[in-house]
Amino acid sequence: MSGPDDIAAPPPDRNYLAAEYVLGVLDPAQRREVEARISRDRAFAREVAAWQLHLAPLADEIEPVEAPRYVFTRLQAALFERKRRGWLDDVVVWRWLSAGAGAVAAAALAFAFVASRQPPAPTVVAPMVAAINLDDGKPAFLATIDLSRGTMLVLPVSAVIPADKAAELWLIPPGDKPHSLGVVDVSHPVSVTIPPALRNAVTLKAAMAISVEPPGGSPTGQPTGPVIAKGGISSI
Amino acid sequence: MTDETDIAAARERLRDTLVAVAGGDRAAFATLYKLTSAKLFGVCLRILGKQGDAEDVLQETYTTVWHKAGLYDPERASPITWLVMIARNKAIDRARADGGEPHAAPIELAADIGDTAAEPAASAEAADSGRRLDDCLKTLEARQRQLIRTAFFEGVTYENLAMRSNAPLGSIKSWIRRGLMKLKACLER
Repeated sequence: MSGPDDIAAPPPDRNYLAAEYVLGVLDPAQRREVEARISRDRAFAREVAAWQLHLAPLADEIEPVEAPRYVFTRLQAALFERKRRGWLDDVVVWRWLSAGAGAVAAAALAFAFVASRQPPAPTVVAPMVAAINLDDGKPAFLATIDLSRGTMLVLPVSAVIPADKAAELWLIPPGDKPHSLGVVDVSHPVSVTIPPALRNAVTLKAAMAISVEPPGGSPTGQPTGPVIAKGGISSI
Repeated sequence: MTDETDIAAARERLRDTLVAVAGGDRAAFATLYKLTSAKLFGVCLRILGKQGDAEDVLQETYTTVWHKAGLYDPERASPITWLVMIARNKAIDRARADGGEPHAAPIELAADIGDTAAEPAASAEAADSGRRLDDCLKTLEARQRQLIRTAFFEGVTYENLAMRSNAPLGSIKSWIRRGLMKLKACLER
C-alpha cells in the first residue's frame, strides 16, 4: 500500500466502498464495480474481508426461519437430477405437446416421476421413457421406466379399445418376439413390474407395443389381437 | 465455558462438513443444509420480505455453495459467516434486480444525542467478536447505529434509507460513513 499513489488523497467516496459494499447500501452498478475490484486488487479484497468479519456478528441477531421442505427437494433436483428435469425439453416430449395430445398427461407423468424419486434411489440408472403411439402419431400411452427399481409407470393418454377387451403391453427386443408386460388400464396410470428376466432387454433399441386382447390378456403369450399402438424407448 | 466449547465444536463440525461438500459429498451437503438453511433463510427473508424470493435466493445460495465450497478458507472466516455473506450478497442483488424495494416502512431517526461515553470492552473480551461489535456500536451516535443496523439487516440503499427517514441523501451518507469509520477505528483498536 505504499507508493506514489498514497501521496494523493483518494477520492473520498472510495474510502468507504469496501464497508458500503458489505453493509449493502450500494446500487447494482457500484456493486459490480466493487466485485471487479475485489478480483484484481488484493489489498481492497482484504479490506472487504475485514468488513465482512467486522459486521458478521450482526447476523447473529437474525432469527432463523425454517424454509419449506420443497426448497431442498427443488435444490437437489436442480443440482443432482438435471437430466431428469430436462426431459421436458426433449424433442419427443415436445412433439407430443405440440400435437396437442397428452399435455396434461405429460405434466402428470413428470410430476409422478419427480415424486417417485424421493428419496433418490441409491443406484443411478439413466431413466427412460417410451411414447407408445397410435398410427396417426398421437400417443396412446406414455411410460417412464425406472430400471433401478425394475418398474414402469404406464399412463394412458388417448387409447380407446372396445369395452369388452383389454390392452396388453409388449416389450419387443430387437430381433426377438414380443414379451408381455401385462394388461394396462386405459383410464388410469398403472405401475408395471418388469419381470427380472426381461430387465436387460429394456434398452433404447427395444420397441413397445399395445395389442387388443381378451379380458385378462392374451391366452397364448403372444399378441392375438390387432396392435393399435407402438413406439420406441428413449433416454431422458 | 460450556457454551464456548459447544460453539467451537459446532463450528468445527460445520467446517468439516463444508470440506466434505467441497469434495462432492452429497450427504455432507444435506447435513450442511440442515444445519444452516434456517439461518440463511432468515437472512434472505429479512432482506427480501417476500417468501418466494427468499426461497429462490436460498436455493441459489446453496447452489453456489455446492459449486464453490472449495473456495471456503477456514483461516479467514467461520463457516456460518461465509455462508451468510453469500446469502446476503445474493439477496441484495435480487432485491436490487427486482427494482421494487421491499422495504418502505418509515424510519424514525433517533435524536442525535451526541457521542455516547461508552468505551469498547477491554482485551479480555476482545476474542468475542460479537460482544466487541456490540460494544463498538454503542460508541456511535444513536442514529448512526440505527442506520447501520437497518442497512445491514434489510440490505437497502442509501436512497431507500433517505426516503424512509425523510432525511437528505447527503446526510444519510455522511452519518453512515462516519459511523462506519468510527466503528472500524474502535474494532481495530
